Amino acid sequence: MSMKNFLAIALGILSAIGGFVDIGDLVFNTQAGATFGFQLLWVVVIGVVGIIVYSEMCGRVAAVAKRPVFDLVRERAGFGAGLSTLIASQIVNLLTCAAEIGGVAICLQLLSGLPYRLLIPLAVVGLAVACWVLRFEWIERVFGYLGLGLLVFAVAAIKLHPDWGSVAHGFVPGQHTGGSLPVYLYFVVGLLGAAMTPYEVYFYSSGAVEDGWGLKELGLNKVTSMIGYGLGGFLSFALMIVAGVLFLPQKIDPQFLGTPPLAASDALGQVGLLLALVGILFAVGGAAIETSFSGAYNTAQFFGWRWGKKERPAAASRFTLTWVVIFALALLVVMTGYDPVKLTEYSVIFSVVALPLTYLPILLIANDRTYMGSNVNGRLANVLGVLYFIVIIAIAFAAIPLLIVTNGGQG
Amino acid sequence: MSKHAEVDIALGILDHQLVDSNGVNCGKVDDLELTGLDSGSPEVVEIIVGGNAWRKRGLLGRLAGRLAGDAVHVPWAEVDSVSSVVKLKRPASELRLNRGDPRWSRLVGKVPGS
Repeated sequence: MSMKNFLAIALGILSAIGGFVDIGDLVFNTQAGATFGFQLLWVVVIGVVGIIVYSEMCGRVAAVAKRPVFDLVRERAGFGAGLSTLIASQIVNLLTCAAEIGGVAICLQLLSGLPYRLLIPLAVVGLAVACWVLRFEWIERVFGYLGLGLLVFAVAAIKLHPDWGSVAHGFVPGQHTGGSLPVYLYFVVGLLGAAMTPYEVYFYSSGAVEDGWGLKELGLNKVTSMIGYGLGGFLSFALMIVAGVLFLPQKIDPQFLGTPPLAASDALGQVGLLLALVGILFAVGGAAIETSFSGAYNTAQFFGWRWGKKERPAAASRFTLTWVVIFALALLVVMTGYDPVKLTEYSVIFSVVALPLTYLPILLIANDRTYMGSNVNGRLANVLGVLYFIVIIAIAFAAIPLLIVTNGGQG
Repeated sequence: MSKHAEVDIALGILDHQLVDSNGVNCGKVDDLELTGLDSGSPEVVEIIVGGNAWRKRGLLGRLAGRLAGDAVHVPWAEVDSVSSVVKLKRPASELRLNRGDPRWSRLVGKVPGS
């Protein structure tokens, strides 16, 4: 492997790590840690392997057949079911985008001291300008690398000297203490949903088509999805461990997004706090862009429009307008003043319901020789793909009842 | 396309991407017009794109078809090849396809850098 390739892969991994955590992971991992300590770490492992399995699959389909996810949804689900999936995914994308924008505004507020309501439109304008001006790879890089500020949580998790025996124990599912069974299950569903958010596969596969991936990139796809997302998962562990050490004993319920960064400052002082805030700002800001773009990708792919960041905005005008409109609608949602943490919980739980119709077409096409030739799923990808599909169906049915029964994890 | 290639119409053509001779996306194969179903030698004569082509595509399609305008009919003779996309022989504008982007580009084009 040449130095240049090695560098490209390393940079891809770094931006995947920085881009892994979004507001859903932040909220669910810290709340799970504050409620159940380390007992739910095993769920993060399952969620991370799930996103790896399906990202690898749709990245491979993008590289071999040049088809992004919503082309596949349309081709395999047809018009009616495809349109239902599109509508469901748009609602979830919009809610998620709004939640991420709320997160950006809170970070800006904590950094600047300016009023939250003023910072919301500034955040949206800033993100939209970044989307307009920066090239696709620079959007990925800027937000991915600065999102690496979140690594401060990994350092904090070590410096807080958790009881590593109990941490290890958390990777094995079993009896739980600290909350009722429905609340425990609610967090299981939420953590899986946060790790396997559908917009991640929409964005990943459309991005691969934008980057012009071909057979040469199959290795890059494997490495980025496995190592990038795998290491990104460590940030989720870190968030849960930090919350388990600091918040659980003091019965702090991190219902405010400003709470997790305080954990970093507890372990690492002012610098830790600053790094955490910058990390969250860019991780969440990047996710806001990914959700608005996913909405535009999906719509354009469903209707067969010209799409992509590589196109001139005026040439792919319907695609451009779609992501602008999603930002504008998300702005309206956040401006209502609805709590971004609550918004996040709803967006993650509803995203779980949209998962099966997103993942099934990927699984079908990744097995279709007319698309994939000799690059169809191997046995491992299929065993895992089917297992995860069963898990997804189960959590899709459980998600909303658990949301209602537990009153959003409040018990 | 090769006369001997075997393509499953429902899986391999319907709902697939249309691409014009310049490689530009220009809609989906929303419906197909077939003839000769009675005579036993069915043949695809037209691809129907957009608008009320959706009417026959389920409940949501009926609703969407009502809101959208007329469909565009593309004769099968305009098809260059069928792979995972359906490639056409001419540019989209000559076939009255992809009219949405030019319409909206007047608005988007006002922003600097577009």
